Amino acid sequence: MTIDFIINQFTEIIGNFPVAAFLVACASVGGLLFVLMALNAMVAVYVERKVSAFMMDRLGPMGQGPGLHAGKWGILQTFADAIKLLIKEDTIPKSADQILFKVAPFIIFIGAIIGLSALPFSSSIQAVDLNVGVFYIIAVGSIGVIGIVMAGWASNNKWSLYGAMRSAAQIISYEIPAGLSIIVPIMMSGTMNLQNLIEYQSGSIFGIFPNWIMFQNPFAFLAFFIFFISAVAETNRTPFDIPEAESELVAGWMTEYSGFRWAVFFLSEYANMFVVSGLAVAGFMGGWLSPIPGFLNSPVLGLFWFFGKVSFLIFVMMWFRWTFPRLRVDQLMYVCWKVFIPIAMLNIFGVGIWKLIFG
Amino acid sequence: MSKYFTNIYDTVNTLWTGMRITFRHMMNIKKDNVTLQYPEERWPRPERDIGFELEDYNVIRTRLHVDIDDCIGCFRCEKACPVDCIKIDTIKAGRGEDIPEVAHTGETSNGTKKGFVVSRFTIDMSECCYCNLCTYPCPEECIFMVGGPHSSKHPIDYEFSEVDRNDLIYQFAKKLTPKQRNDLQQPKEKAKA
Repeated sequence: MTIDFIINQFTEIIGNFPVAAFLVACASVGGLLFVLMALNAMVAVYVERKVSAFMMDRLGPMGQGPGLHAGKWGILQTFADAIKLLIKEDTIPKSADQILFKVAPFIIFIGAIIGLSALPFSSSIQAVDLNVGVFYIIAVGSIGVIGIVMAGWASNNKWSLYGAMRSAAQIISYEIPAGLSIIVPIMMSGTMNLQNLIEYQSGSIFGIFPNWIMFQNPFAFLAFFIFFISAVAETNRTPFDIPEAESELVAGWMTEYSGFRWAVFFLSEYANMFVVSGLAVAGFMGGWLSPIPGFLNSPVLGLFWFFGKVSFLIFVMMWFRWTFPRLRVDQLMYVCWKVFIPIAMLNIFGVGIWKLIFG
Repeated sequence: MSKYFTNIYDTVNTLWTGMRITFRHMMNIKKDNVTLQYPEERWPRPERDIGFELEDYNVIRTRLHVDIDDCIGCFRCEKACPVDCIKIDTIKAGRGEDIPEVAHTGETSNGTKKGFVVSRFTIDMSECCYCNLCTYPCPEECIFMVGGPHSSKHPIDYEFSEVDRNDLIYQFAKKLTPKQRNDLQQPKEKAKA
């Protein structure tokens, strides 16, 4: 269900109004993606709270849900949270930059959600089938930084500004290893189109193992981990959460925000997680292909496999978050510049040689 | 250079160890869970024994309770109370007469004949100092601390917090409507009229 498909249908059924068709298609697909992201955040927040609780031997939210206070696993906790956030007072500091302060959350959200439009949910479900899908997602992923710096600057608050500066430094640093390691699948498949990239991974190794790029050679395997960890850093999540380190910066660039705007920040954090996990899945883990080669592959089941893999990666991010302590700033930069970038460079070199020798 | 690689190895190794631990805890949550969902679940109550060898001193004072059917309205507990948290009102009635309209029985369980209808018996538990002084003078042993030797008379309950402060004033007497109260106060005159 691409945008082109909707435009064609519109033209066939209603008539040849290119602008109207384009607007209708964009609005409907955008609305769907927004609903998807809202659901994703709803589920992910609940799962995150549960995962964190279980890892600490707690129970997590148990009250809200069918049978109030009857121990029904608190399924409606996120709905309660959302309602509470929406009815909260929307405060703007007096000395804040009014316009930037109001605009910043939406820029961050746009930066997070815009990458979704190129993600291949299944072989036939994708908003836009871009030739440069990988490049596009990596590129628009950086838009969020502008919003973060805007939010930090406009808040007129030292914590916000520190958080924004740290976030900018961190995201810009970690984009390099992420970009360098996503080059590996591009080199191996010879395409930046995400659909072609996934089709390249169909088939099997020795007839049993899935022919995913991360299993095709050791360099790609390493590249997957570098990409994934850099992606975690780009989404500002623990252990790379120095931009919003609670113990030193209150809430980083979110300090002055409340209510709906803060909810938008949260929404975009989870949307970001979804996008980077989606890119990792498409680039290294065979996208919508079934993990058992040739088993249950179809456009509809592809949706299931894709969301399954993305959910798994999001779970791993939560697992990271509730296991690891936060990195110090110098350690963060050490990991990026002295470990990830050299290894990512070597990966590119190694994959080139591998391609020369094994074809 | 070798230190660089040892560092990386150590990092990966230790992180993986930590991840294994958290994953194990997540999987064993049913066994490891430490949360008690308080209003629905409670810890088992401890034994009613504070360590004295003599039974009489092993009384645990949890809260006052009154068996109002046994109360003869003698006011001794009200007088004994050092903080004046017990308030009693009585209406004179025929000695040993049953008054079914207000569910008043003429005799206590010990066989004593009652001369009064207890129209009000309130204890302000927010003032009560748990001194137990009111229970000793009671001739019918109808006011007692829950627990200890009386644990068979009333279930033991430690948790008596209330949302409204007024709910801490315990009403033990049967509620009388104004008309019933009036009838009780002037039975003779009514009969004459």
